[in-house]
Amino acid sequence: MEAAMMAKTRRNLNRAQRRTLTFYLFISPWLLGFVFLTIIPLLIGFLISFTNYEGLSLVNLRFVGMANYIRAFSSDAEVKFSLGKTLLWGLFNLPAWLILSFGMALILNQNVKGHGFFRTLYYLPSVVPVVAAITAWKVILDKNAGWLNGIISLFRPGTAIGWLSDYALQGMTIIAVWTGLGSGMVIFLAGLQNIPDELVEAARIDGANSFQVFRHITLPLMTPVIFLQLIMGLIGVFQQFNLPMVLTQVGLSRGAVPPRQIYLYMIHVYRQIFISNRWGYAFSLIWLLFIGVALLTLVVFWTEKYWVYTERPDEGW
Amino acid sequence: MDYAMRAYLVKRLNRFLSYVLLIGVGLIILMPLLAMATTSIKQMSEYNVWPIKILPKVPQWRNFATVFTMAPYLKVALRTAGLGILVTILVTATSSLIGFAFARYPVKGNKPIFFIVVGLMIIPYIVVLIPQYVIYSRLHLTNTYWPWIFNAIAGNSLFIFLFRQIFLSFPRELEDAAEVDGAGPFRIYWQIFLPNAKPVIATVMIFAFSGVWSDYIMPLILLNDNRTLLSVKIATSYSNPQGIWLITIAMAANVFYIMPLLIAFFLAQKHIIKGVITSGLKG
Repeated sequence: MEAAMMAKTRRNLNRAQRRTLTFYLFISPWLLGFVFLTIIPLLIGFLISFTNYEGLSLVNLRFVGMANYIRAFSSDAEVKFSLGKTLLWGLFNLPAWLILSFGMALILNQNVKGHGFFRTLYYLPSVVPVVAAITAWKVILDKNAGWLNGIISLFRPGTAIGWLSDYALQGMTIIAVWTGLGSGMVIFLAGLQNIPDELVEAARIDGANSFQVFRHITLPLMTPVIFLQLIMGLIGVFQQFNLPMVLTQVGLSRGAVPPRQIYLYMIHVYRQIFISNRWGYAFSLIWLLFIGVALLTLVVFWTEKYWVYTERPDEGW
Repeated sequence: MDYAMRAYLVKRLNRFLSYVLLIGVGLIILMPLLAMATTSIKQMSEYNVWPIKILPKVPQWRNFATVFTMAPYLKVALRTAGLGILVTILVTATSSLIGFAFARYPVKGNKPIFFIVVGLMIIPYIVVLIPQYVIYSRLHLTNTYWPWIFNAIAGNSLFIFLFRQIFLSFPRELEDAAEVDGAGPFRIYWQIFLPNAKPVIATVMIFAFSGVWSDYIMPLILLNDNRTLLSVKIATSYSNPQGIWLITIAMAANVFYIMPLLIAFFLAQKHIIKGVITSGLKG
């Protein structure tokens, strides 16, 4: 009987209503996931940030107002320290990655022979899991017997730079650029290939040299791609967790303490939860990060109109 | 020197320098992989010597056997592969259906919801995972694989996006004709759209499987050592009883570890790179 009723209601719906129903039915797994796996956890995290939750018993759970947030700004010196390291990490990593991947894309875009081969080769590190990548890089970046210090020692004998200790931030930048070069380059390359040949040819006929073509045609037309990469990179910088975590734990144990140089913000958050059981405090740190990154992204978006070339064709359905 | 001659020389020089750079960077790219290969067949005493010896005197092939005797590598690898395959099937099924709905049903709410789907891509997983952990631990779902299943069923923003892009490119007539023949929406998706999206299916499946296979954070946070996955197992095993990490054995384990991904990459690299471009340029 129920089936018969449903069939009747379905007949009574018009085509547009049926299509709306189908749409929401089909996307319902995502909608459920969005509510239960994203929104509710984030809200619960937000509520916890105003409590003294310790992860175990609920008996002592107390509302503490803004105390966690005040603590982050006043009594926890590690917040400032880890934020400083995170900013430094962005300062090393973002420009190196952007410039190198853009540069390699420019070179590959000149129709060199073996174009496909080099593209595959450069993309290869992107598929190497982070654990394998860091284990391999430990051989190269080791302080006493690493290959990099070995190469430098050919020119300056006795070099023993601690790429994974005193200079871990630089070492980590090398690993991150190695991993990300390929995907960055591939995206820049696709952007470059979207630049109409007629524009470049017209400029050449007008007597522009390679540098002028780059400066006045390629670069302005690439600014939307650079902008997008910059935004994604910037967001990634502040939430970097994977690399310092694996770098700390590979070959040691789950409880290993990260070197000070790569004590990034998210590492501090992680340790608040899983080492110190300060859940309430950790969630206030996560929300502060959220707000900070959102503001920073807005600032970058605000600069868009000053340097990003826009000519948006309608996407349409 | 006349102008044409100079232009020719500049062009040749430019080409030459380009190749020098391309090959130089290529060698740097390959260096860690070379380090991996040679370290995996060294003895520990050969690893830590100065001056560096790139190649071992006698290749220690038995390192590759030690990988399996020192830690339950095979057991954990099978467990990880099993979970990876399950997640891949689930997430491909749901993401393609969701992508289909976004592409072919321009009803009210479609655009704003899709905007949220794409927007979620910029929230890194760790930020959502930690609050999720609170809930999972209250529901006693930590140290189980349910969190992976839930995430898979909910679909993945990037995969939904990739499926939507390819389904948008299909002509309307395809759908209309099927509808006239009396095919319902699910049949249209299953019998007409999905079979024509094979390159995207392949890309998504590789991304999904390598996501589980490579991920370090979820097993680290959600699983205890008795149920952990390969990434954490490899990273924290292979120390001798004195607590010294045997990097040579760990490297041999990593050679096995990256093999399935490298093979998948070489088989489907064209599709994979296309997927990266689609998501990077329009995301």
